[in-house]
Formats: sequence, C-alpha cells, structure tokens
Amino acid sequence: MKKLSLLLTSLALLNASYAYAGPIEDQIKYRQSAYSFIGWNTNKIKSQLDKPETFSKEDVIAAANAIAAAANSGLGALYGPGTDQGEGWHKTRLKPEFFQKPEEAKKVAIAFNLEANEFAKVAETGDPVQIKAKFGKLTQSCKACHDSFREKDPK
Amino acid sequence: MQKKKIQVWDLPIRLFHWLLVLTITLSYISIEIGGAWIDWHARLGGFALGLIVFRILWGFAGNKQARFSQFMPTPARLLQYFKGEWQGIGHSPLGGLAVLALLGLILLIVLTGLFANDDVTLTGPLFPLVQQSVSDWMTGVHAIAFNGLLAVIALHLLAIAFYWVVKKNNLIHPMLTGKKEIAILSESALIHEEKAKPINFIISIAIALLVVWLIFGNVFVDLLSPEPAAKPPASQHQW
Repeated sequence: MKKLSLLLTSLALLNASYAYAGPIEDQIKYRQSAYSFIGWNTNKIKSQLDKPETFSKEDVIAAANAIAAAANSGLGALYGPGTDQGEGWHKTRLKPEFFQKPEEAKKVAIAFNLEANEFAKVAETGDPVQIKAKFGKLTQSCKACHDSFREKDPK
Repeated sequence: MQKKKIQVWDLPIRLFHWLLVLTITLSYISIEIGGAWIDWHARLGGFALGLIVFRILWGFAGNKQARFSQFMPTPARLLQYFKGEWQGIGHSPLGGLAVLALLGLILLIVLTGLFANDDVTLTGPLFPLVQQSVSDWMTGVHAIAFNGLLAVIALHLLAIAFYWVVKKNNLIHPMLTGKKEIAILSESALIHEEKAKPINFIISIAIALLVVWLIFGNVFVDLLSPEPAAKPPASQHQW
C-alpha cells in the first residue's frame, strides 16, 4: 500500500512537472537551437522579400511552415526555472525578468505563436504584398520578446 | 549703434541641420516600432551617412561659418571664450565643441550601424564582412553611442533655452532663416563673407552620394565577398 501511494505520488509529480526538456543546460541548448533555426528560416524569407527576383512561393511556404512547426513544438517547456542562468551552446541571454513577469512573458510567447501560425497561412497565398505585411507582424513579435526578455549584449 | 542683418548659416548648413533632426527622429521611431518599419531604419541610416559625409566635406569646402577651422575649439579660443573675450559670428568655441561632439557621435552611430544587427532580420549593409560576435559588439556600441547622443542633444537644447531665456538671444530663428541681426560697432567689424563656390557644393554632394552608393548599393560587399554558390537545379528531392 505504501509502495503504491509512493508510485502514485511520483507519477503525479511527473505529470505536474514540465514536459521532457532535460537539465538546465539541455533546455538552453534546445532553445538556442530552435531560435537559431527559426532565425535561419526568417532570414530566408527576408532575403526573398528584399529581392523579388529570387522570390519563390514554395521556398517561402517551406520556411514559414518550419517557423510555425518550431513555434508549435512547445518551446515553453524549455523555459524551466533557473534557465535564465547557465550555458547551452553559449551563455543564455534570457533575462531574469522572464520569471519575474510571467504574465508578460506568456503574452509575448503566445503572440509569437499566433503570428507564426498566421504567417504560415498567409504564405500559402504566395502574394508577396500580403506576405510582406504579415512578415512585419511576425518579426515584430520576435522583437517584442527580445526587447523585454533578452539581454542586448551577449553575456 | 548701427544694426545689420547678415547671413550666419548658409542654406546647406540649415538643410543639413533640419534633415538630420528629422532623420534621427525617424530612425528612432522606426527601430522602436520594428516589424515592417524596420527597413526604414536602414534607409534612414544610409541617408544619415550621406548627410554626415557631406557635412564633413562642407566643413572644409563650405562657407565661412561652416568650416571646422572657423570654430575649432582650441584651448586658446576656449580660454578666451570663458574670459568673455571671444567675439565672432557663428559657432562659439563652446558651441564648436558641441558641434564636434554631435557630429562625432552621429558618425560613430552611423559607422557601427553599418555592421550592426537587430537579432531579428535587420542587418547593416556591411554586416556580411564581419563575424557575428563583431557585429554584436558594434550593435552594443551603436546603442550606447545613441544614449550619448541623446545626452548631448539634451545639452544642446538646454543651451538654446538658456540663450533664449537668460541672454535674450533666439538661436532657433537664424537656424531657420540663416539671417541674424548684429550690432555693428565700427566699419572694421563688418564681416567679409567668404562664399564657397557652387562647385564645392556639387562635389561635396557627389562624394556623399558615392559613399552611400558604395556601401548601401552592396558594391563593397560584392567586391569583398566570395561568389555565392550557384543554386542547385530544382529537383524532386531537394534537401
């Protein structure tokens, strides 16, 4: 009976804890990798919007879907307590404010997720004008989080 | 005592000044808003580069009050100024110091901006020539120098307010019209205005445009970067 309750307790604890993300340094690594991948795809779109002769509907859709997939992958799980300090591939730039203002952090995180999904939809149209406008909204949502929760200079 | 209206600030100086005010304001707004406005931050940076290059050239080839030699704040001139013995038209030695500080900071901001990045999609036109870490460092300097610029602009505005309220001397009006009424104490005090030739202006503008084109038209980057790899032919299974 004791064993069973212990098992139940640990199961409950496991359930309440974050989805698998591993120790702090792994969380930071996954995080840095995810945003680096998002950044690569964002830059691909940007360069195609800047040079209309290189614009390819398929490439933009692929990049937009990649961004949306990363955004939808549950990045929140990588922001476990204590991950404002520590080293992944390099020292994290996450500000402690991220944990001090959880409501605001949630707001910018959800905004990015929404914009990423909206953008993937607009990318399907293949219309550079619409894509460009929506892309501005997307990058604005990146910036909103950087401005509030990312150190300006690499630590 | 006779009074005479003379030209203190020539048209290029006035245009430079007010265009710079506009450019700095819009650059700040565009980077704060971000998103679709971000491209304007880069364009305005190009415009600011052109303005600054022109102003530096005009400081050598321009009309009398525009020249650095005229208002270079040498220790001797500053001493004279603080003893209250300085007399002249145009920038006072202390004003000259402010001009150099403003121009120096703006030049620093423009130059670091060329290599900077905003951590989203915006990169300066010379970003491809440096490593990410160098660019990040430049971005930091870019931001710090801007804070410094805000401080010097605040001093500049305070000085103007001081002149207006305490010394009853409106400095804004001459910067708009170019003209200033001065008291002529004697005939010998009459200013012999040295006019720059139109060709000086044309050459200064041409060089400024050339510099902006070399940097923002990607001429430099294309010259210094290796050829980009040709895109592989489209196939069913790209990776």
